[in-house]
Amino acid sequence: MKKAYVAIAIMIALAPLFAWAADKVGYSEPLENAAEETGAGEGESIFSGIFPDYSVPGLNPYISAFITGIIGSVIILAIAFAAKKLSKNGN
Amino acid sequence: MHIPDGYLDWWICVIMYVISAAIIAYSIKKIRGKITSQKIPLIGVVAAGIFAAQMLNWPIVGGTSAHFVGGALAAILLGPYAGVLAMTSVLVIQCLIFGDGGITALGANIFNMAIVDVFVGYAVYTAFKKYGSVAAFLAGWLGIWLAAIACGIEIGISSIFAYKMYVTVPTMAIWHGLLGIIEGIATMGVVSYIEAHHPEYVEVAA
Repeated sequence: MKKAYVAIAIMIALAPLFAWAADKVGYSEPLENAAEETGAGEGESIFSGIFPDYSVPGLNPYISAFITGIIGSVIILAIAFAAKKLSKNGN
Repeated sequence: MHIPDGYLDWWICVIMYVISAAIIAYSIKKIRGKITSQKIPLIGVVAAGIFAAQMLNWPIVGGTSAHFVGGALAAILLGPYAGVLAMTSVLVIQCLIFGDGGITALGANIFNMAIVDVFVGYAVYTAFKKYGSVAAFLAGWLGIWLAAIACGIEIGISSIFAYKMYVTVPTMAIWHGLLGIIEGIATMGVVSYIEAHHPEYVEVAA
């Protein structure tokens, strides 16, 4: 289990590097290609989240990727540990 | 592959929410009582790992990028029902906290990446397990490929895509068929490592 946490930490630490590299090649996803080919354009966001597109106000995209990586992973782990606690109380 | 708001017609959004909610409810029912409280953190760790892996956009020359999705991996490590819940938690956090994937399309995104990818990955892995580590490769590859085709159908029957399913399905299938090879290799790598060092964590092998 400890190794899994280390792996998660390494991936989060690498997030800024990947964000930079993806920017360098000017990235688009296949879904965006399909939208372009059919003239669908860009979807209009109804709700853009607390940290829209993994950005933290005032921080550059690379540091934002690092910070939001930590935030997302911690929230998911917190939910799991809360569920564990609830399931114990339920038993 | 995260569909944003505005891409799907409203009735498709509703249908996908209903289907996904039903399958999530069924998955919770299937694991309730069968899963020990010690195993719940493992679901969280797999989900957190998949979330972190999804943040890594692999740049591919030619201007396309893709990230690991992980539905097949979740299915192999946790079994399909806990896998559905792990992937759903990733997609809900991505949508609500980071605006990655539209809130109206969340049902469809869960269907594609937390249901199709997970169950196809699980089925392929169990079918080919006797052939060794190639099973995890095929699970990762075919899981993402069929998830992409499902996505192509959903957008292809939507008005904003001019109902051009004959464009959307091939575009999604061809691109993700190629990019899915990376998903397959990554899935195989992680599963092989865990099978060799911590076989107790591979649900399907157990």
